[in-house]
Formats: sequence, C-alpha cells, structure tokens
Amino acid sequence: MAEETVDVLIVGAGAAGAALAWSLADTRMNILCLEQGDWMDPAQYPTTGLDWEVRRFGDFGLSPNSRGRSEDYPVNDSESPIAASMFNAVGGSTILYAAHFPRFHPGDFKVRSLDGVADDWPVDYAQLEPYYDLNARMMGVAGLAGDPAYPAKQLPLPPVPLGVLGEALARGFNKLGWHWWPSDSAIATREYEGRAPCVHLGPCIMGCAQGAKGSTDVTYWPPAIRQGVRLQTRCRVREVTLRADGMADGVIYYDAEGVERRQKAEIVVIACNGIGTPRLLLNSRSKQFPDGLANRSGLVGKNLMFHPYAMVTGVFEEPLEGYKGPTGCCIMSQEFYETDLSRGFTRGYTFETLRGMGTLSAALMGMSTGRIPWGAGHHEAFAELFDRTAGAVIICEDLPEEHNQVTLDPELTDSNGIPAPKLNYRLSDNSRKMLDHAVARGRELLEASGAKHTMADAPLPVAGWHLMGTARMGTDPSRSVVNEWGRAHDVRNLFVIDGSIFVTSAAVNPTNTIQALALYIADRIKNNLASLFD
Amino acid sequence: MSASNEAVLSPERERCLGGVLDEIVPPGPSGLPGAGELGLANRIGAIADLALVLEQGLSALDELATSRGAQDFAALAQPGRLELLNEVAAAQPAFLPGLVFQTYMAYYQHPRVLEALGVPPRPPFPLGYEMQPSDLDALLSDVRRRPKLYRD
Repeated sequence: MAEETVDVLIVGAGAAGAALAWSLADTRMNILCLEQGDWMDPAQYPTTGLDWEVRRFGDFGLSPNSRGRSEDYPVNDSESPIAASMFNAVGGSTILYAAHFPRFHPGDFKVRSLDGVADDWPVDYAQLEPYYDLNARMMGVAGLAGDPAYPAKQLPLPPVPLGVLGEALARGFNKLGWHWWPSDSAIATREYEGRAPCVHLGPCIMGCAQGAKGSTDVTYWPPAIRQGVRLQTRCRVREVTLRADGMADGVIYYDAEGVERRQKAEIVVIACNGIGTPRLLLNSRSKQFPDGLANRSGLVGKNLMFHPYAMVTGVFEEPLEGYKGPTGCCIMSQEFYETDLSRGFTRGYTFETLRGMGTLSAALMGMSTGRIPWGAGHHEAFAELFDRTAGAVIICEDLPEEHNQVTLDPELTDSNGIPAPKLNYRLSDNSRKMLDHAVARGRELLEASGAKHTMADAPLPVAGWHLMGTARMGTDPSRSVVNEWGRAHDVRNLFVIDGSIFVTSAAVNPTNTIQALALYIADRIKNNLASLFD
Repeated sequence: MSASNEAVLSPERERCLGGVLDEIVPPGPSGLPGAGELGLANRIGAIADLALVLEQGLSALDELATSRGAQDFAALAQPGRLELLNEVAAAQPAFLPGLVFQTYMAYYQHPRVLEALGVPPRPPFPLGYEMQPSDLDALLSDVRRRPKLYRD
C-alpha cells in the first residue's frame, strides 16, 4: 500500500538525520523520517540497576553481532581487524557514544594540499564553522575556551570536571610539556535547555539515564517533532526506488509487523552511517544503476575508514576515584596531531583519557591479563587494580584506501532478508607505525603521571564506531559519490549526510563534524529549493 | 549473565559448588565475603552454558573427596579442597575458566561486596557521584602559553 508522497524522506534518525530534520523543519515541508530502531527508555538503561556492568555483555554491548537486539543487523567483519559498532534507535549511535565532541582542525580538510596524501575536501573549516557553533548550542557542548590546538570557539557550558584521576594525568602531561586540554563534550554540565545536569555516574557508553548526555533523541528530535517532522520507528528500509527518469522516488521498507510498504518522496536523504548507507545504496540496484544506486563512480562502499584505536592503561599506587565522572570525557591531547615526518608516518593522533573501571570490569581485566588470580591472593591483587587504573585511548587518523570497503554479503542477511554488509579492511603500514608510536607515547604519559605498571592494546578490536568515507564527497563525479553539499552526482534528488561522505577521517571523533555537515547541507537545500534538481 | 530455568543443580551439587566458589573467591579482609558464602551457587548453577562442565567437574570433586575418606568435597578442610580442585581442573581444563568468569560476574555486582569495597551499594543512577572542580587556570598555565598548534 503506498503512503502519501512526502516532500523529504530521511532514512535514519541518528546524529545526522536528526540535525537535518530539525533544520529543515522551518520550511514547513512535509518531512518524514524512517528509523529501523525505536525510542529508548532511559529508565531501562543499565545504570538504573546494580547489574549495570553485566549488561555490557548483553543488550548494551558494543557489537551488533553479539548484542541480540531485534533492531540490529548482522555485519560480516570477519575480514577486518576492527569490528563494526553501531546502534539502531532514535538517536542512533549517539545513544551509546561517549559524547566526545571535538571539531576537525582547519588542516583536516586539506590533507592533500598539506601532506600530499589522500584528497582535499570540497568544503573547509570556515564554511562549517557557523554550523559547528549552531551544533554546539543544540547539542549542549561543554568545554573551555583558549585551546591553542584550535581556532577560537565559544561553547555554552563549562567543561566536565577532571577529578582526582584527571588531575593526575594533567600533571603527567605538564611534566612532559605536552599539549592537553579539557575535552569538548556533548554533556550538559549544568542544567541546559530543560535537560538535567550530569551527575558523574560514569558509563556514558551504556546510555545516559540522566539525560545529560547529548544524544539526538533528547536534543534535536523533540523540537523537530514539535515543528511537525514525523518520525516512524521500527521501519527498516530495504532499498531506494527510482523513477524512469533516473530520479529517486522513495523507498521500500518493512514496518514494525514486517509488512513490506512503499513510501514515496520528492527528496530522499540517506543517514544510515558509513556501513548502513553503502549497504542501502548497493542494495538499490536497477537497470540504470546495476552496481548500486548513485554508483557510477564505483566508489560506493569504498574508502572505508575507521579510526584505528590503541588503549594504554596504567596501574597507580593511590586510589583515583575513577568510577566518578563521564567515562570517556576528561582530557584530550593533540601533541602528536599534526604531521611530523620524523616520526615515521603521515598525519597523527589524539589522546583521550579514560576514567577507571567498575568493580566487575577491574576483576575481568585482571583475569584476562593474569594480574588477578582466583583463590589465595585474589583480594590482594584486586585491591592493587581496582580504582587504581587510568588510561587513554588513542585515535589514529585513517587514510582512505579503495581496497578497504563495504560490500553486500553473498549469504548473510538480516531478519528481513536484506543482505548484510561485509567489511574488507586491513591496517596500513602508516596506521601500524602510528599505533606503535602512540602506544610508546601513551606509556610515557602514564609513567609521567605516576603509574607503576602500564599495559597496552592495539588495535582495539571492537572499536569500529567511527564509520567514514564510503560515499565520499567531491566535485569530480568520477572520484566521488556526492557533491560538495551532499547531493548524489548521479541522482539529483538523493542526498547522503552521514559519515559516509567524509573525504578523510581526521584524528578526532566524527559526530560533531557529521552534524555540522548535515546542518550545512540542510541550509544549502533550503537556499536552493527552486533549483535543487538542476 | 544468561540463566536458564532448565539447568537446576541438585542439593548435593549445589553444596559442592558452594565449596568451589569459596575457593575461587575466598573470604577476604574488610568483611569481604567468600563467593560461596554469598549463596551464589544456585544462581551460577542455573547457567545453562555451564551445565555440562559443572556436572562433570562437581561430580569428579565429590568422588575424589569420598575416595579420600571425606563425606564430600564441601566437608573437606581448606588445603585439601584446593588440592582436589587443582587436580580436577588439570584433568578437566574446561571446568574452571567459564566458572571463574561467571563467579566474578555475580560476585562483583553483589551489594555486600560493593559495600565492603567502599563503593556505594546502589545503582549509579540517580544519585551519581560528587566531584570537586579543579584549578584549571593553574593546571593549564603552561599549555596556554604555547603558540598555535594547528595548521590552517
């Protein structure tokens, strides 16, 4: 049964879809968003129960392949050292993210010009700056002005507290003379726009029961819906359909009961993340697009970029109160961000310090590393580890390589029979050298901060939560999938607005830039309505 | 942690498992209870994934204990229990790893354990935790003096 034709159909209610929906709402166009997940109930988040740590092994785990939620689709990541991590719900992966909210550097948009690798973006920092500012107000970003690693910016909220743990690491950075700064965080550190302030309860990455973390179900979606945007949940889109003239005319989706339905639209916007978007496009084959929708360049699915992550952990003598405070947001360091070829690699990385572990996580870490035996000596060894660890993850810039890609799995499907995505990805030599350097500097940092032992893990296996590059933007249709404002070169009423359109990955969390781009694209749509399909 | 109503330990096996749990996590300082003392045997014994290895391991422990003159494994005094447990673990390598994992999963979220460790025995939400502000001006003074670090 066909529904009425809407003006704008958005597929995906995550970071990008929410921002664009809110921005377009003031046009009073008929806007509908289809999301395969559902609204989350904060009263059910793990931190509302004593068994919160256990639930990271179940329904709030990082991997869709082991989580077992009905909204998840499987991902074949057997040929990737990094496993994909995404979340399907109103809010998308912002439900589980740690709310790190850095911007790109100006130079991150000019990688080819500055360093002779990859490509330059068709947009730059100056063009996105007003949208970064707008996004900071909408998401409620906490931070501190004056960081020499960034152009001047004003943020609406004060930074997340460092705590005992953060101060120990800050002293370590100072001892080494390295850059560090309180993290930009999408966390309401004071009451903000009707949202309660952060109560420092710890595991932001399992959903924020307080509502202080800026996920889009509590930031963009409420005002978007008040302004008339409709959001239908538990609707899984299978393919984008095409008119005879080559324009998109809507989608086919499965509703909450699994019934196949069609939704027609004048404009189709894809916001399904760097794996979900190429999957949808590749599954939308037709006579005009036998290799997948909008794929005349052959680049849909290619240039998959993660951020290879390393993690370093230090064991300290004194208690650090690490269970207090947002788990991932404390301090960021970009001492090794910009390219210095004497290090042996191109581009660089960011340190993001980590709070400590809960009791169960400490015990299991001790078990897996052999530091905590069972039996005699157990309690003594546990006492040396629990509340005495601090660390950092290191986000390495990933360069685009066409052999790193998303395709459709020939056998694996989701519960609706839609082919699952298959990842083929390998770490480059550049990434390996960068990870080695990062681990060595990370250990150095922890020792300077007072750690008596250090541990390292690189690359982190289930760390594919930044998904980029697989429908890249550019001005040359033979070298890109969408143009400089997200419109598909091959299908003029089709837009892509998530991390798929990234040209390069920078060495920071992408959500802020994803949303700034979505807001920028929304404005370009609004300003060009009369000639949108020219 | 998964649990199944179908995997139910007999009273004998539950008693034996309680003894094993007290070896895995014995009573500790500051009022830390042993894992068996917390009554976790019933909960861990109900985990379907562990049913087979538990039956094999626990029955071997009781058989060994009775063959050495004890009523059962749980009735043995401490050094004897550890010796038998090590013997069975060596003969059945699959016995302990999953059991230790599940013991920690149950133990380290128990309110009595949290309290003994000095962690408030409550969910993190809604109270959260108090944190004091830092003197960021003092801590950041050197960083603020650095020149521009980014490229345009």
